[in-house]
Amino acid sequence: MMENESLFPNPKWLDYLVGLVKRDPDRLKDLGIADFRLAIKVEFEDGSNKIFGLVLDGYDVDSQGEISGIDSFKPEATLSGSFDAFKEMFDNIVENRGADKFHTLNTLSLAEFPLRISSDDPIGRDKFYRYAETLQVIFDSLGLEAAKSG
Amino acid sequence: MKSDIDLSYLEKVRSGQFDLGWLNNVTSEWGIKPKPSKIGLTLRDIFVGSYGDIPETAPRRTMAPRGCDIDSELPDMGYTINSKSEVWADNLLDLYEEAVSRQWSATRDIPWNELQELDPDVEHAMCQLATFLSEVEMVASDFPAKWMWRINHDFLEAKMFLCTQIMDEARHSEVFRKRALSNGGGLGKASPVGEEFLKLVLDAKNYDEGSALMHLLGEGLVLSVFRAGELIAPTHVEKKIFRLCMQDEARHVAYGTMHLRYRLERDPLLAEDFHAFLDRGEDLISMIVTTPQVVEPAAILATGSVKAAESIGDEASNILRIRMIEEYLQRCDRAGIPRRGRMKLPEQILEGTSANDVSKNPPQMVVG
Repeated sequence: MMENESLFPNPKWLDYLVGLVKRDPDRLKDLGIADFRLAIKVEFEDGSNKIFGLVLDGYDVDSQGEISGIDSFKPEATLSGSFDAFKEMFDNIVENRGADKFHTLNTLSLAEFPLRISSDDPIGRDKFYRYAETLQVIFDSLGLEAAKSG
Repeated sequence: MKSDIDLSYLEKVRSGQFDLGWLNNVTSEWGIKPKPSKIGLTLRDIFVGSYGDIPETAPRRTMAPRGCDIDSELPDMGYTINSKSEVWADNLLDLYEEAVSRQWSATRDIPWNELQELDPDVEHAMCQLATFLSEVEMVASDFPAKWMWRINHDFLEAKMFLCTQIMDEARHSEVFRKRALSNGGGLGKASPVGEEFLKLVLDAKNYDEGSALMHLLGEGLVLSVFRAGELIAPTHVEKKIFRLCMQDEARHVAYGTMHLRYRLERDPLLAEDFHAFLDRGEDLISMIVTTPQVVEPAAILATGSVKAAESIGDEASNILRIRMIEEYLQRCDRAGIPRRGRMKLPEQILEGTSANDVSKNPPQMVVG
């Protein structure tokens, strides 16, 4: 049986997440405009990785899906971590209908473990903080969807 | 002023004789029709033609909107900041739009009714941290308010951005005061050491000094405190408070960093002045990591109790100290004023950071 493409970290998981956000665009609009290119780098035990591109543009959010490399996407910052760390965060979001206090993006990345935010440019890195609530709402959409589907 | 009023004009109007000088003798650019971008009509959209030209040095000191027809009798408003580089930043227009768009309400947007009863130690710690933040945040309203009326009206967009900062910081003082008073606790103890830094900002001799101390240093450090606050917040209510404040603070830091860069690119000889400002201000870092009213509440919130904080709280404060200093050093690099090798803080404060590793400094701007 073909694996569900929308399951993390399959190629379409970010498209699926962004699709959930777009169902209720007012949630992001209420938080205001944003301008950010964030790469999400999932690292596997065998040393390989997958990179996904998320774009915040005004009131819009878009997924660039899985991208071939950091350079082609030109992210302003990269959120990296092991597959297990991301998986635990997403499972927590689904289970709790939104991240609990131990699994918000900022909480998981402040000490640079288990997630870390990096950038060559501190202005780009600081955008991860400038749009902290917007990003959390986007990721928490997985939990809202889980709540709807019981 | 009364003697300048031409009452005969009233008679002319009554007899149908309009002056129409404002209509017939127009020299300002006409026919401007900017196209709104997808989020609406932005400042950048109307930055067109002569209206997008900002003089490096303002030719007048009036409140006349930049680009309008000028009446020679406009009064001198006494502005003292008349050079664009004193206040400008390349990201200013976008930051203003973002600030207006991302305003939030401490009354409406925080789920106050979901606050939970906390262990008394934790509630005390949260209230003390909220007291400290309510105390320090308002300086970032007071400082721009002190200087705004001195900034030439040709740099209107810079003044508009500072207005958003004033509102942001008022809201931060509000939200932390509300948190301290909303869950069975109350305000804690004010910090004399902290207020020494606030005084340094308010007493700054010029906007350069105050902006470096506040936008780049002070707000950068408070941004780190907000990040740590989100990490150690006892419930989702406080987490949301810290995330929303973090967003605003990062905007101010983005202005401060890029403003300083803009300033130094145009006048690299000012670098030593800015180093001297930061030499004086960086004691704030020592203050944050050595003031019990700040360190101990954070450790208690991180660990859940006084007892646990006494045994493992040091680890949490070390993480915060190192992150705070590293992020500050990176912003200084971006601003064009590398501080590695220049910081004069005790070794215990700089331990574990790259503050003394000058090989990590980016190449200096060429002076000349």
